Amino acid sequence: MSEMEAAVAEKKTALDVAPRTADVPRDVVFDVRDLTVRYGGNPALAGVSLEIHEHAVTAFIGPSGCGKSTFIRCFNRMNDLIPGAAVEGSVLYRGQDLYGRDVDPVTVRQLIGMVFQKPNPFPKSIYDNVAFGPRVLGWKRGLDERVERALRQAALWDEVKDRLKESALSLSGGQQQRLCIARALAVEPEVILMDEPASALDPISTARIEDLMAELKRDYTIVIVTHNMQQAARVADMTAFFSVDVSSGGRTGVLVEYDRTEAIFTKPRDRRTEDYVTGRFG
Amino acid sequence: MRVGFQEELEQLDAALHEEGTLVLRSLRGALNALVDQDAELADEVIAFDDEVDRRYVAIEEGIESLLARQTPVAGDLRFVLAVLHVNLHLERIADYCVTIAKLVKLAPPVAPERLFVDAFQEMGARAEEMIRVALDSFATRNAEQAETLVQLDELIDRANRRFVQHVLSFGRDPTLQEWGLRMLLVSRCFERIGDHAVDIGERTAYVATGEFREFTDASH
Repeated sequence: MSEMEAAVAEKKTALDVAPRTADVPRDVVFDVRDLTVRYGGNPALAGVSLEIHEHAVTAFIGPSGCGKSTFIRCFNRMNDLIPGAAVEGSVLYRGQDLYGRDVDPVTVRQLIGMVFQKPNPFPKSIYDNVAFGPRVLGWKRGLDERVERALRQAALWDEVKDRLKESALSLSGGQQQRLCIARALAVEPEVILMDEPASALDPISTARIEDLMAELKRDYTIVIVTHNMQQAARVADMTAFFSVDVSSGGRTGVLVEYDRTEAIFTKPRDRRTEDYVTGRFG
Repeated sequence: MRVGFQEELEQLDAALHEEGTLVLRSLRGALNALVDQDAELADEVIAFDDEVDRRYVAIEEGIESLLARQTPVAGDLRFVLAVLHVNLHLERIADYCVTIAKLVKLAPPVAPERLFVDAFQEMGARAEEMIRVALDSFATRNAEQAETLVQLDELIDRANRRFVQHVLSFGRDPTLQEWGLRMLLVSRCFERIGDHAVDIGERTAYVATGEFREFTDASH
């Protein structure tokens, strides 16, 4: 390639990153293809295809029963733990089928951590909560540094550095949730899944978790389920709207629209999205 | 369903329509004052502007409150943002009516030729029609109808250009020249009112389609 061609190619690359999508990195972490999840034969979610991008916050929104929590659980095989659950289609994680035969669900859950709605620290010390994962993995060297790093990343270090031996249950709800995030970070995941991470928290703790997401996406890929549409609007780069399809007699979750968050909240393409985000739903 | 929120949006729509009706009254008053050279009516038009301004401020405050409390999104957000603009355009149109009224009072007492009276009548009627079309298409979110404002605007622009030619044909009589100069500004006011109506039309298209675009380039 001549210098000129190289310069042109470089310029083209620069132009490819159009301003509209500059804030949404395009590297695909998850590639979901025609995913259907059944519980005891009934589809809870059907025919979902989408891509999750690296270093982005992706939010799933939708009414109760739309399958958004079912969907997020597919990303680290949490549905495996539910009897009668069956997954069809594929979830590719960096090109590899998460549901492939030789894939160990425990490794999956280390790479793809999860934070739940209600903070669920172990009834142990703050330190032990964070050290638990690394210890299980046999990562004994530099444990103190690892715990500190995880607590710093979760914006909790300054509040707990002098009381690491105290019970995690002595922390406030918001602090407990950040501890759970630190616990997830301590095993060096690539992705953090958050299922309603702030719904049990007060507005100030919620704001801290939201700020944290903005910080964490530099190093991690974040996927969040939220009931709070404004939260999705505030934190997410991409938003997927799920709805409930009742046409086949049952209640099946379907993906209605997936786009940049700004587009979802300013000019959604689908009437159902418009009705939901503007509060006309139901 | 957010019933209270929906009612607030409807109230906003209604308040804007009301403001539009006041602006049309103002325009009609300014036009009559101009044609009849009625200084008293001109004063009324000037005073009436406070009424329009009150509606303008009330709508703006309503939007401020609505944004703070209800966080509208999607079509609702586009509507609220468009109302913010349309509100300002209507207020500006009313200001042009005031300017016309002031020019009526400032102009030397010249009995205008039929030609000029007809020109004023034409421009005034076209401006009225444009405001009506702008308000109707906004109320019904009719982007197609809104775009017809471009053709209507062209008619006002042409009338304005013709008016300029008439004034240029005046002789050297200083009184007539001064009158002509004042009336050029009046003609320009009508022309600007048409531009604001087109701008309202562009906001209608934005609410309806989600895309903002100027109907014509900046030359109008």
